[in-house]
Amino acid sequence: MAISPPFDQVVIEPARRPALAVVWEFARRRPLGAIGAVIIVVMLAVATLASVIAPYDPLAIDFGGMLASPSSAHWLGTDSFGRDVLSRLIYGSRTALLVGFGASLVGAIVGAVLGVASAYFGGRIDLYLQRVMDIFLSFPLIILALALVAILGNSIPNLILAITVPMIPRCALVIRSSALSIREMPYVDAARAAGFRHRRIILRHMLPNVMAPFLIMVTAFVGQAILLESSLSFLGLGVQEPIPAWGLMLSGAAVEFAERAPWMAIFPGLAISLSVFAFNLFGDSLRDALDPRLRTQ
Amino acid sequence: MSKFLIKRLLLTLPTLFGVALVTFLLIRVIPGDVVELRYSGDRGAVSQEVLDQERHRIGLDQPVWRQFLTWIGGVVRLDFGTSMWTGAPITEEIKLRFALSLQVAIMATIVAVLLAIPLGVLAALKQDTWVDYAVRLFSIAGLAMPSFWLGIVFILFLLVVVKWLPPMVYTPLWVNPKENLAQLIWPALAVGYRYSAVATRMTRSAMLEVLREDYIRTARAKGLMQKLILSRHALKNAMLPVMTVVAIEFAFLIGGLVVTEQVFNLNGIGLLFVQAVAHRDYTLLQALVMLVASMFILANFVMDIAYAWLDPRIRYR
Amino acid sequence: MRRHPVVALIVLGLVLAVAWPAVAQDKPRSGGELVFVVPSEPPSYDAHQEETFGLIHPTAPHYNTLLRVDPFDKTGTKPVGDLAESWTISKDGLTYTFKIRKGVKFHDGSEMTSKDIKASYDRIINPPAGIKSLRKDMYDAVKSVEAPDPTTIVFKLKWPETSLLLALASPWNWIYKADILAKDQHWYETHVMGTGPFKFVEHVKGSHWVGKKNPDYWDKGKPYLDGYRAIFISNSAAQVAAVRGERAMIQFRSFSPPERDQLVQALGNKITVQESPWDCLNFVTLHHEKKPFDDKRVRRAMSLALDRYAGSAALSKITLVKDVGGIQVPGTPYATPPAELEKLAGYGHDIAKNRAEAKRLLKEAGVPDGFSFTFRNRGIPHPYEPLGIWLIDQWRQIGLNVKQEIVEASAYHPMLKRGDFEVAMDFQCGFIVEPDLDLARFVSTSDANYGKHKDKVIDDLYIQQSRATDMEERKKLVRQFEKRLLDDEAHVIYTLQWHRIVPHLSKVHGWTITPSHYLNNQLDTVWLSE
Repeated sequence: MAISPPFDQVVIEPARRPALAVVWEFARRRPLGAIGAVIIVVMLAVATLASVIAPYDPLAIDFGGMLASPSSAHWLGTDSFGRDVLSRLIYGSRTALLVGFGASLVGAIVGAVLGVASAYFGGRIDLYLQRVMDIFLSFPLIILALALVAILGNSIPNLILAITVPMIPRCALVIRSSALSIREMPYVDAARAAGFRHRRIILRHMLPNVMAPFLIMVTAFVGQAILLESSLSFLGLGVQEPIPAWGLMLSGAAVEFAERAPWMAIFPGLAISLSVFAFNLFGDSLRDALDPRLRTQ
Repeated sequence: MSKFLIKRLLLTLPTLFGVALVTFLLIRVIPGDVVELRYSGDRGAVSQEVLDQERHRIGLDQPVWRQFLTWIGGVVRLDFGTSMWTGAPITEEIKLRFALSLQVAIMATIVAVLLAIPLGVLAALKQDTWVDYAVRLFSIAGLAMPSFWLGIVFILFLLVVVKWLPPMVYTPLWVNPKENLAQLIWPALAVGYRYSAVATRMTRSAMLEVLREDYIRTARAKGLMQKLILSRHALKNAMLPVMTVVAIEFAFLIGGLVVTEQVFNLNGIGLLFVQAVAHRDYTLLQALVMLVASMFILANFVMDIAYAWLDPRIRYR
Repeated sequence: MRRHPVVALIVLGLVLAVAWPAVAQDKPRSGGELVFVVPSEPPSYDAHQEETFGLIHPTAPHYNTLLRVDPFDKTGTKPVGDLAESWTISKDGLTYTFKIRKGVKFHDGSEMTSKDIKASYDRIINPPAGIKSLRKDMYDAVKSVEAPDPTTIVFKLKWPETSLLLALASPWNWIYKADILAKDQHWYETHVMGTGPFKFVEHVKGSHWVGKKNPDYWDKGKPYLDGYRAIFISNSAAQVAAVRGERAMIQFRSFSPPERDQLVQALGNKITVQESPWDCLNFVTLHHEKKPFDDKRVRRAMSLALDRYAGSAALSKITLVKDVGGIQVPGTPYATPPAELEKLAGYGHDIAKNRAEAKRLLKEAGVPDGFSFTFRNRGIPHPYEPLGIWLIDQWRQIGLNVKQEIVEASAYHPMLKRGDFEVAMDFQCGFIVEPDLDLARFVSTSDANYGKHKDKVIDDLYIQQSRATDMEERKKLVRQFEKRLLDDEAHVIYTLQWHRIVPHLSKVHGWTITPSHYLNNQLDTVWLSE
């Protein structure tokens, strides 16, 4: 089941060059990836500094100033409760990154652990784990997430969990296939023969070597998680009012006011697209850069 | 070959059983049940006794393991029972919706393939030039838009600019092809564009890989014409992983268009799924998940067979 | 509202007088197919056992009821005959005798008689095992239903009940055929066979429902339409698109104000909008067994905090609420007039004064600096979500710190039933504006008393108003009930009355909006002008 290209030959070379040079090299050779990275960094900065740069309280209601078009007072206008769209967008980046990184990090970590364990121990453990993964892989992402939200409720931690679960088997699959090839490497055999404990071998030798596919999975999933959250919002199961969140801003009243107050929809839509775009661009380039088979020499 | 086929087919059974078990347990953890939802609305006028009777009638008062055995016993005989919400046979509930979802999935897949293969090949041939960048930007942009938003923009465009709205009611293809296509072409385009992104990337990287193989390199040296000719050969070899991606996405499209079906008012499997969750219609949910999962397992099966057929070594692994 | 035949005649005359000019100017035109959107879908086809408008809208045109609510009355509170031609009420108010129309035929060609009406009502009032009669409690006063001859049906009561006529006009009480019920009580769950103006053609699940004109309808000349087609669309943006793209002519439930504005802007004079206060309302339930909500001063303070008039002005632009109302829909017979309503706590126009009073009450209750609590709201966009945001904002202004928790729509009632909340949004919706129907749930013993208040006074007032035969007397009792419920004890906190907005293509005529989306869907009076 080759959902993503296998990473069986990926081995990270120890970085001997200074970090800055590596970054510069990446930016020069993969301009698209660099653009993505810049957008991600800007997003992170905005999320961190939200309370400093947001001009208004994102929750403050002003019925007198409902649906105001963009002006010098409200750069991106106000929504149907008179809340400042810009401020909600700025605070919304926190929610997006929290859900995006939360789900993808947890999903990729659990997936990586399962994938490595599966590959390393092999035999029955591998067989059973693979069967369980197969089961979860058979559900479409959104359907599993939908069912989980219905069970857990839709607070942000629960949402992260609901988005994480369907991601785990997808990540485990990829990590397992690259871990399998490392397991056959002479030095792992040597470490085993030398009588090192499983834990040491896994932590010292296997994990570092699946870092490349791991990083690729994390970046690829962040975008997916942000999109999935907005789809859940559209179905009324995502982040709930009054929490500022892009998916929520885009899906509810924004649709009804699409023509009368288009700024309510355009800006959160742009924010979602831009951030998902950035993560995909970056992830794509990272994949190319880390997969030696695709290097153009 | 037939031995491999049978072995591979048998392997799908435990997965299907696992899906059945997980689904069965998962949906029973969702708070609320169909009887409560349907009969104890805000008036609260139905007595507990009647509620209990109703639970008994549809078998919800039995221990979970027995409910599971009864259900799985039916599934083995391909009898999925009746919907707990409407009381109609499950097959009747699903039939028409499945036809619609299948058609949209096929159409969207065609759109995706028609976009992905030429673009992917082009990007690979022109690697790291502006053509490559443009293709990748175009395909990634499709993935970056929330699907409902893309759908709403489509509809608003048709309403405001063309002053025309696609039909809101599904007409089967064999009844009225024109009406049918007028409705389904829009979601197929929106979904196909989105789903072409992954296939485009796969085509590109598979092509790059094949292009680097020695015989192609040699051919490349000989000039552009040959390069093109050979890239056709290259394409053939590169197709297998692309086909895999397309097949699996096709399977997911059948049940996974939850959001798109809402926006375009398509009476399909995804919409039915959302309603079944809202109604806590256990029997319908179970059948739907089994259906969607079987499509996925089937797609994998077909791809495995395709691999084995093209590469005999796999059979003996 | 006891109606003697004379009164009924006068009412009929008045109705005719009101309706006459319209009829004279616009002669109904026959023909055409009405296409309408239904946002929900019928689970089964048996209205006695269902409570969703998703069944009424596509299916009611196949049936008749004994009485119905006058299709041209905007208040939706005037009972007129449907299968009944006329009726008399005995002096003691215990016997209601109805004369049934002659020559009414079921769609299978058989004659409809009082036997069918009796069988249908017996099934509603004393459902046989396995039948879930959802509105059975409305007929507790009925002792027996008798059919002495084919054109007479008699309801005998245990005690006089003013609301009986309206209860018999219930849009749910379709008259089924006795012979079919005798053979199979479940037949009507999966089949359609009535006496109504339209015959059943097909139902494609999840897609559409089609009816065609009944040429043998008893009301000669009606229906005007050749047929109708109901299309099921769950997503609200798609519903608006359907009307805007003229693929549908009307959606009988309601659109939201921005959706209305969008349609009006796009279609101009091709669209006509009918609006009405809606017999549905969100109120706040406070759990009386949890501190500090056991203290009525706290509850009153929370009601006083709401600036209902400013809220109305703002919220009516974005969601389905508008009027500031009491326990009866504004403009209906038992509604409290605005001038008197203003005297209730939290209904006065001076918001500064109200909030000062609220703070004083909190101080008195020992919580001068306010307190924190969790407000459970239901995951429905209109009007729950905006109302929730508004409430939290209002409560914050008297120093209450509120955290909102949204519960998925389908999990909401089980949560209320378990009592798993401190303060929660609740919902009340009726199919006819009538104190008996609207207030029953506030009686202490009601299963829907989720806040678990115990109030003997309220319980007694409910019974007294229900049995009061004089309208003025009953009005007074209803007012007392209102003051007790919303002011003195503030058991619950009413928000704003829902507001129903039905924009439709201007070529649709003969349909009048009422306060209930369950009413007036027989379509016999509807016609198309092109």
